Amino acid sequence: MPNGSKKTIFAHVDLTVQSGEIIDITGPSGCGKSTLLTAFARLNRYSTGQLALHGISAKQYSPAKWRTQVAYIPQQPILIGETVADALRMPFGMRIRHPAQSHAPNDLKLEQLLTTLGCADIEMQRPIHELSGGQAARISLARTLLTKPQVLLADEVDAALDPDNAYLVSQLLQHIATHEHVSIIRVRHSADDGIATRTLILNPEGLHHVNQ
Amino acid sequence: MSTNSYNIDIWGLVIALLMVSIAAIITVRMRIGIATTLLWSTLRALLQLAVMGYIIGFVIAQQNPWLVGLLIIFMLVAGVQITLSRAKGVPHGLALPVLLALTLTVLLMISVVAELIVRPQPWYAPQLVTPLAGMLLGNTVSALAVGLSRFFESMRERRNEIQTLLALGASTWEAARPSIESSIRLGITPTIASLASAGIVTIPGMMAGQIIAGGDPLNAAKYQFVILVTIASLTLIADSIIMLMVYRTCFNQEAQYIL
Repeated sequence: MPNGSKKTIFAHVDLTVQSGEIIDITGPSGCGKSTLLTAFARLNRYSTGQLALHGISAKQYSPAKWRTQVAYIPQQPILIGETVADALRMPFGMRIRHPAQSHAPNDLKLEQLLTTLGCADIEMQRPIHELSGGQAARISLARTLLTKPQVLLADEVDAALDPDNAYLVSQLLQHIATHEHVSIIRVRHSADDGIATRTLILNPEGLHHVNQ
Repeated sequence: MSTNSYNIDIWGLVIALLMVSIAAIITVRMRIGIATTLLWSTLRALLQLAVMGYIIGFVIAQQNPWLVGLLIIFMLVAGVQITLSRAKGVPHGLALPVLLALTLTVLLMISVVAELIVRPQPWYAPQLVTPLAGMLLGNTVSALAVGLSRFFESMRERRNEIQTLLALGASTWEAARPSIESSIRLGITPTIASLASAGIVTIPGMMAGQIIAGGDPLNAAKYQFVILVTIASLTLIADSIIMLMVYRTCFNQEAQYIL
């Protein structure tokens, strides 16, 4: 699939994801796991391939529309705005969510979500530069969750978290997979947390099952 | 223009060059490695201004609209070349957008200031039209060079932020907007500052020139006001046009960041 200007890092990736499934992708550093996730979100200029959502080809979607449905969460959280509330509502100021198609979530909803992520102690008006790495990672995850994508591409979102908070995140992901039928593809390095329905290894020939 | 103007003779030029030499000697004694550049730039300025003086003198004497047009086209091409050589870290292929932005604003400048406000006889009066184009170009070229450098620098710095914005469904315009804003701000700041300080801190060059040449100071002030304000507006317009054309080059058809 992705075809770099210099070399092919992997090819022949063939993956079908059911709704509500949680798939973990592992593999050594540099094997292209992040590249694969950005390719799924149509964010990777070097990749080529066919993507479809509910049987509808990605070509039927504008890139921006596709990305609202197949949402990539980068490994490095980048929060935009002055305060936590600004950062969380930022996507709702975009043209793709205008006008009243989707209302920006109110403070109560934001606080509820942060509580389930173990961030109950973060005030909505806290400046984003005062957040710790683990807090920023969870705000970044929360920001994408609020936009209600159908597929979540999570690039090591729990890497910066302590075990307790990593557990809360995995509980929330499992909840939205089960109850909101969101499909989740995670790139992970940490130990298996038991919520994945499948774990796949990425190597130059493609994705392969891990027998557990 | 009245007749009580004061000419500069050859000794005047020599004294000016002497001043430059004194400044150069001081920097050499202080071991500031700028003397060569200073002398070289001085000679360039002397030569270029002399040539410009002869050319404009010739064009004024001829009173031929085609010649005026030719001179302005030459200034535009030089403006493109200077903009691109001053702008640091910009990709290739910007010559056409820059030419377009400069041409459009020069045409606007001539239509508004010359034909609408001053209304000279004949309409192409070289002594009005060519200095107008020159003053505007001098300002826009700097603003565009600074603006373009800042834009691409900012787009590179914001690489991860742009990827995040696109991942959340931003359009390429929305992803590029903060860089566009900061580059236009930076490009236009000196122009706006010159508006605010005109008449208090500085007597702008054009007004000073008219007064030295014996013109009525109030008339010179009116001229200067019109020029400053139109230059500021047109520089902003040129900057906006160039950004609208150039931000797209940072993305491909698939709305992916490609810088």
